[in-house]
Amino acid sequence: MFYLYFLLFLVLITAAIFAAPLRYKVWVTTAIVAITTIALAVPSIAVLAGTDNFRIIEMVGPLFGRESLLIDSLSALFLLIIGVAGCATLIYSKGYLQQYLDKKSSAHISMHYVALAVLIVSMMMVVTSSGGFSFLLAWELMTIASFILILFDAQRAEVMRAALAYLVMMHIGFVFLVAGFTTAYTYCGSASFESLPICFSQGKTILLLILFLIGFGMKAGLFPMHVWLPEAHPAAPSHVSAIMSGVMIKTGVYGIMRVVWQISASAELHTAGIILLAVGIVTGLWGVILAAVQNDVKRLLAYSSIENIGVIFIGLGVSTLARSSGNDLVATLALCGALMHTINHSLFKTLLFFGAGNIYSQMHTTLLDRFGGVAKSMPVTAILFLVAVVAICALPPLNGFVGEFLIYLGMFNSVRDGVDTLASAAGILSLSLIGGIVVLAFTKLYSTVFLGSPRHHHVAEAEEVDNCRIGAMAIPAAAIILIGALPQYAIKIIERTSLELSQSRISIFDGYVSSTLWKVSLTAWLLIIVVVLLYKLKSRAQNNRTIAQSPTWGCGFTSPNIRMQYTGESFAEGLESVATNLTQNTVEGRRVSKNEIFPSSHNYNVRHKDKIDRLFAAWWVELLYIINKRIMTLRTGKINNYILFALLFLMLIFILSLLNWI
Amino acid sequence: MGAIALNTFLMLIVALSIPGVINRTRSILAGRKGPRLTQHLHNVRLLLKKGSVYSTTTTILFRIAPAVYLGAAIVALLFIPVADLYPLISFDGDVICFAYTLALARVAIILAAMDTGSSFEGMGAAREALYGALIEPALMIGFATLAMFCGYTSFAEIFEHEQSFNLHHTIIMLLTAFLFVMITFVESGRVPVDDPRTHLELTMIHEVMCLDYSGVDMGMIHIAGWFKTACFSMIAANAVAAMGCFHWWFAVPLAILLTGLSVGIVESTQARNKLIRNTTFIVTISALAALIFFIGYLLQLNINI
Repeated sequence: MFYLYFLLFLVLITAAIFAAPLRYKVWVTTAIVAITTIALAVPSIAVLAGTDNFRIIEMVGPLFGRESLLIDSLSALFLLIIGVAGCATLIYSKGYLQQYLDKKSSAHISMHYVALAVLIVSMMMVVTSSGGFSFLLAWELMTIASFILILFDAQRAEVMRAALAYLVMMHIGFVFLVAGFTTAYTYCGSASFESLPICFSQGKTILLLILFLIGFGMKAGLFPMHVWLPEAHPAAPSHVSAIMSGVMIKTGVYGIMRVVWQISASAELHTAGIILLAVGIVTGLWGVILAAVQNDVKRLLAYSSIENIGVIFIGLGVSTLARSSGNDLVATLALCGALMHTINHSLFKTLLFFGAGNIYSQMHTTLLDRFGGVAKSMPVTAILFLVAVVAICALPPLNGFVGEFLIYLGMFNSVRDGVDTLASAAGILSLSLIGGIVVLAFTKLYSTVFLGSPRHHHVAEAEEVDNCRIGAMAIPAAAIILIGALPQYAIKIIERTSLELSQSRISIFDGYVSSTLWKVSLTAWLLIIVVVLLYKLKSRAQNNRTIAQSPTWGCGFTSPNIRMQYTGESFAEGLESVATNLTQNTVEGRRVSKNEIFPSSHNYNVRHKDKIDRLFAAWWVELLYIINKRIMTLRTGKINNYILFALLFLMLIFILSLLNWI
Repeated sequence: MGAIALNTFLMLIVALSIPGVINRTRSILAGRKGPRLTQHLHNVRLLLKKGSVYSTTTTILFRIAPAVYLGAAIVALLFIPVADLYPLISFDGDVICFAYTLALARVAIILAAMDTGSSFEGMGAAREALYGALIEPALMIGFATLAMFCGYTSFAEIFEHEQSFNLHHTIIMLLTAFLFVMITFVESGRVPVDDPRTHLELTMIHEVMCLDYSGVDMGMIHIAGWFKTACFSMIAANAVAAMGCFHWWFAVPLAILLTGLSVGIVESTQARNKLIRNTTFIVTISALAALIFFIGYLLQLNINI
């Protein structure tokens, strides 16, 4: 019965959006999403504040028996993330799609908004479902909706390719999820997450964990299943990238968290922790190194999402390890860090993709080295983007620091206590390397796009975007600053979730986490006050002195020009020379050779592709090729050889039947 | 309260004396008389009195960056205890806060350098970003070693008590002190990673990033550099002092001499690395840090090695 109502709901949404006039489609969609968000946010906040879990509906699914839609503390947290990012995305899309309203047909725009609404609703269903049929249905709905969203510019060949690759990969992941739920149903008679402990007690823990890790990891972008992210994000419109990267890939994280939560303390939990930590480290490092060498804004952001998923998994892994060894403090800290980073990433990544959308809509390119000096023509975008950049570099006093600080603190405490020392040290080592390279990647991104002089006339002619988009960007920006400046209050949001998931005591949270974050907040405020004071002092000192303006100092060179600026490509050259084995470069055009004393005009275009990209297509084809080649050696063309093969085959059958094997 | 004020005052003394000692060491080794010990203070005072020239390419970010750079360095300075005294800011995990505050300083100066649109400053910024990324693991794992051995995760508690003599402890503390002296070389842009006296912009790192700064801004950048150096040398001095004579009157001269002499001697006797070798050099320091941690781990387990 529920599914009938659900279908009716979807049909009604579709009808409403299709029937609305072209300019009002966005508001109809926003209204639908806002109403859904508010309806679910009220019970979510209540659950996070400490009331009982809220059961929305209970029904019998066609496949796996009884299921329910239920808001518990973990669902509530993700519901809030989805709601906030969803509303911001819709407001942003109003401004972003303005330029397409005359170019695309009305049905095309309607289709886009229907998909957007369905995506948000299905994500909400994913995080409330107790598992089984309703979960898989919502998961599939989410995939298809995002597929349609990526296809917005379907006339471009690369968009079509990226969308199809996305669809195929998501279904590979889906097969593993179905396998996971079926295994669970076979062994414990129910496919809901709550009954997983019964399966785990039968020794199926690692099997199920790996099935779910592949299934959910495909969506989350875990190494080596991340290859769809850097293809799909540049292809999709920016607000779609924002919601996919900021929120949709988090449903994968949600799934893993839910599965790991059900494993009770045992030897398997320890193995699970090691697996999660290792996956997190590899994903994080791979993502960040590839991000730093990219020369396309959206590809860089996509790789950075992969890196952030890695960071979340490092936190989750450390927390799981600590839970298995009974170290409550570390388990709570690392889990708080992972959850906090999930929230934080959804905020700053949304903001970054919105910013990328702004510059794309003005300059119609996302190639890094075409920009330069955008801060002068689009100052508001530049400031908001800078907020997101500082946050994603995990620098105080913004929110990114709070999440990583908690993960670090967990690992440092684990090292101090001498429990899981080496695992935590590996975490510290890789997280600090990730942190360092993130700084490189994002200073490269920001300075090539926004600072310096314009490299292209489009940039000089660009204008600031409309207020609707600025308003949409202000929502995550405000949250970033608030969480960064007042982490001791922001942490209250995840208090209940982290306590339940790490199964530890309230006293640790109140006594340790909150009091430490108080000090972090005080330090952040001290930093802000010192910087403001210094700036005021400096301005006052300069008040009645000669302040001159002149061109940038060219070190004695008399005619420097704009093309001599350091480009993004040269900025990351040092890292690239170290990480050369990780990428596969495709080159168009040719370099200026050393013999050309007076070089003519050259066209040189390099793209840094992922080596793992080939894992999902080329390697298998090549493998088939090799196998084929081997088999072809049997085709000698001589009749006596073929008779020999036939004889050998008959003998084989004979021997096998003698041994009773067939 | 008095201890905190004394601590902050002593850190300032350390920060202001190190450059003088470095210069004096270098001049003695070169057979010169050398400038007076306070020459760098006079130079900066002169800068602070001057007007400024700003590039027309730059935005407001270029003018805010020195304030952020110096502000972050000041806050970082407030984390560091002088031997048995107390720093102003101290809480569990302040080692992490310290590292990321310095990262904020780095980001500010990199963005400011890129803001000028100069190819030289871009070069410096790119190198600074790469070297900063590669030295970060050494710093963090160095702190982790201290946390593992002393049982605390804040500077003040790590260096709170004089340790009774213990061979294992001494080995680790000496190795950590060595590690932090190496980190000082990298973080403050000294030979063999970077040469502050070089005259070719193409081979500079730190100096080339502030080519377009002048007057007050330049002065602030210089002061921030001293503060950063002081933080690392004080950590190294604390690690050495913790083994025997753990008092501020011992740690302060030790910090000044440790960095002053080692930087001065290295700069007089060694040439700067080829730029291409720098990456290897810095990665080696990080690998060394991981090795020290592992040795510490084995010693902690009381395995006889």
